[in-house]
Amino acid sequence: MSPPAESVKLEPLPPFKPDLYQRAWQSIPHPTLPLLATVHQKSVTVFSLSTLSAHSSLTNGHERSVRSTSWKPNLGPHQLCLVTGSFDSTAGLWRWKDDDDDGGAEVEITADDGSDGDGGPKEKDWELMVVLDGHDSEIKSVAFSPTGQYLATCSRDKSVWVWEDVGESEAEDEWETVAVLNEHDGDVKAVAWCPETNRSGRGRYGSDVLASCSYDNTARVWREDGDGEWICVAVLEGHEGTVWGLQWEPKPKGTKFPRLMSWGADCTVRVWTLKEEEDEDEEMAAPQQQHAWGGGGGGLGGIPNTMRRSLKEEWECTAILPQVHTRDIYAASWSPATGMVASSGSDGVVAVYREEDEEEEAGTNGTTHATDDEAAMELDGDVPMTNGGQAEKPQARGSRKWKVVSTTPNAHGPYEVNHVTWCRRYDQGCPPEKRGVEEMLVTTGDDGIVRPWQVVVS
Amino acid sequence: MEKDNANPTILNTSQLPTRKGKRGRKVQRGAASRIADVMRKPQHLSDPFYDISWSDDTESDDEFTAEPIDEQEVYDLISSISDPEHPLSLGQLAVVNLPDIDITPSPSVAADPNALTRVLVKITPTITHCSLATVIGLGVRVRLEQALPPNYRVDVMIKEGSHSQDDQVNKQLADKERVAAALENDTLKGVLDKMLETCL
Repeated sequence: MSPPAESVKLEPLPPFKPDLYQRAWQSIPHPTLPLLATVHQKSVTVFSLSTLSAHSSLTNGHERSVRSTSWKPNLGPHQLCLVTGSFDSTAGLWRWKDDDDDGGAEVEITADDGSDGDGGPKEKDWELMVVLDGHDSEIKSVAFSPTGQYLATCSRDKSVWVWEDVGESEAEDEWETVAVLNEHDGDVKAVAWCPETNRSGRGRYGSDVLASCSYDNTARVWREDGDGEWICVAVLEGHEGTVWGLQWEPKPKGTKFPRLMSWGADCTVRVWTLKEEEDEDEEMAAPQQQHAWGGGGGGLGGIPNTMRRSLKEEWECTAILPQVHTRDIYAASWSPATGMVASSGSDGVVAVYREEDEEEEAGTNGTTHATDDEAAMELDGDVPMTNGGQAEKPQARGSRKWKVVSTTPNAHGPYEVNHVTWCRRYDQGCPPEKRGVEEMLVTTGDDGIVRPWQVVVS
Repeated sequence: MEKDNANPTILNTSQLPTRKGKRGRKVQRGAASRIADVMRKPQHLSDPFYDISWSDDTESDDEFTAEPIDEQEVYDLISSISDPEHPLSLGQLAVVNLPDIDITPSPSVAADPNALTRVLVKITPTITHCSLATVIGLGVRVRLEQALPPNYRVDVMIKEGSHSQDDQVNKQLADKERVAAALENDTLKGVLDKMLETCL
């Protein structure tokens, strides 16, 4: 018997103020500052993570609901920039205008004494700088690339658009469409850019890597081929329903290429791994090379003829996380600090999973079957295996490494949870020495509540 | 406008399912009497552990005591929805039928207001190629989401074999994001409002 997995308890902290009352779709933490942007109705409310109250809001930019938002990374001090994707089929680029330019923004953004709790000075506000027009129907997701050079948007019109920042300076907001990717067979639900860690030096491609997922049950990986063409290098097939979202591994181990996590309507969270170059020679000769492409059926119809063999990448599903959820998984989040994954969705349960270290698996050579003990543990555990042994499929051999360490039902009472994210703590309840370091979870629900959770590891 | 089905089978309103053991009054079941039905005090309050676990604006009767929401109550909520192309209700057209409504767990055991209750409604479009199947399904989903407490999860599906694009319609109706976006589409919202006008 293995020792019991470390357990994690989620303790609710007071929700962000004010309550938004209506469905909120997602809450995105700023990459470096103590701010959180929550989209709801036709607007975005930015909360301060220091005071857990509203900092500012973005209003009057969209005719229909805002579904998604993303912070532009790598800006200078005193600068904030958000992009919003709306059901009105446009994306908006917003900047925080600091008219008096006295450096006040910095003070306000980082203040943790609560003195700015009333919404901040009036001369500063969000201004809609550019409307990115082009999609035929609702925009579902928006994401800036790690450098901020590219922006990806996706829509019910089945396309992914890549926009490039062609402004002369940061102050000049000029964006150009550099790609319209039309290979999905259904709404594109989400887009995500690969983080910069370990992703460079891959053959002749540009270094930016984009992933998208869709109502067509697939996820796709896209790369720029060096000539400005964006190519679909892999179709990830396995989900048995809409793929609601995806996230790249924020801190890959060693020098490995970041893995990709996807989740969806089939109640599963899956982890996909790139077969890396070192074994590529061997694979090129093997007939299995065709496997990922040949057996899939419908989803492959969209691969263009121009797609050269050398541009393909082989991605395999290396883990299906233990199944906890009983309805659509709308969100999952992979912690950069601990590697833990949290998921939530229609059933209102927040689940936390931990992946066991490689070392514990070293003796098994990574390909052997579960021992009887381990298999028994899985069957006995409180993790229902309702999908007819799906996790036993050979391509998901990494599944056993993932353990459920926490399940919290009714995270938002009877309501659905639309989003969950790991987020650093800056609030008064956190000891000063841990502020900006300790992580919490933040869930966003149909009840309009944005709730932080303390993560207690025991 | 040309109708997809110009001659649907129509049930007489007196044939529609109602709660059993009603008082002797024979009324044509117009919308008003159906509401009375929904809001009627239970005559069989036999579950002592049952207490008020939710409230709804429409249930303003202060004498109201919670009773489990059963299939008949769900039926009453949706059978009065108007068909988008005929001046008839979904009950009259047998698009919604009492036996095709399933509540899990069954109504008598629901006690915790946070415990999820699944309502599955299988609709039978009037003809197999009914292009309005999605709109009807949307109307049913919206009606129930507005009327039922937040711990209810509403699943609307096309009854097997009654429609040629079942899976496609089912997937759309199950997609929360699409449903939310559809409700912000003025044209579609207009159609839905008209369908739901006859409820309440």
